[in-house]
Amino acid sequence: MSGTESIAFDTPQRERRADTFAMWVFIGSEAMLFGAIFLVFLVAHIDFGPAFAAASKHLSLPLGTFNTAVLITSSFTMALAHRAALQRRWRATVRALAATVSLGVCFLIVKGIEYGNEIHEGLAPLLGLPFRYAGPDPVHAEFFFGLYFMMTSLHALHLIGGIVVIAGMIALWRTASPANRLRRVVAVGLYWHFVDIVWVFMFPVLYLINR
Amino acid sequence: MSELRKLTFGYLGLLALLALTVASSFVDLGGFNVALNLAIAAAKAVLIALLFMHLTGTLPRLAVAAAGLWLIILFGLTVIGR
Repeated sequence: MSGTESIAFDTPQRERRADTFAMWVFIGSEAMLFGAIFLVFLVAHIDFGPAFAAASKHLSLPLGTFNTAVLITSSFTMALAHRAALQRRWRATVRALAATVSLGVCFLIVKGIEYGNEIHEGLAPLLGLPFRYAGPDPVHAEFFFGLYFMMTSLHALHLIGGIVVIAGMIALWRTASPANRLRRVVAVGLYWHFVDIVWVFMFPVLYLINR
Repeated sequence: MSELRKLTFGYLGLLALLALTVASSFVDLGGFNVALNLAIAAAKAVLIALLFMHLTGTLPRLAVAAAGLWLIILFGLTVIGR
């Protein structure tokens, strides 16, 4: 074994460069997916601005802000994992990866609490749940909450995917060669940071509309 | 050591931008709240891409430029067409 995962590459460095490029192309395709959804939201926001602003006030700004800080912190620990892997400090790498996974799970728990509150208040127009919205223009407020649940649950699915992959990496840690450990940390790190960037845009777009 | 300091400063910068964007939502800036929020989000994205994702090298930049170009076309044509 020359330290590469695939026989298609001569050296680990070459394989890592191909990995990185492929991850960026994948991130570009993900940006298309989220971009199209953001565009739908933008157009609806232009058309139904006052209804969207009023509906947005029913989201929890404290929980949303807390979750944004949690996700930014998880990106920081992911960057620390990358740094430790470059220096071949494997225990520090695993610790940083475990911290990243824990923060991801923390985000999902808080998001679940938010969903619970919104369903309890009758603000979730999905799965046949009752929609009881007392504010003005309930038709377009329902559209706002539909988009809110669609966007945040798609983001949460991406986060769950990242958590599963990192947890699998930690489980298979002992069987991986040093070169493969670094490659995996780099690849999953790029994905994790991208999911963070998506939330960085989702947070102000959904929670901070005040007109 | 300097790499760790860079990451830490980047992290603190991201938290500061988060505080700024939340604080700005309590101030009525006319139509500029949305623009300011999006500008701050873009600044955070650039920080994450450069510091955490190490966006260097020709090929990764090419992938980002291609994605950016298609997003500009997607958003640009939609907004112009309205």
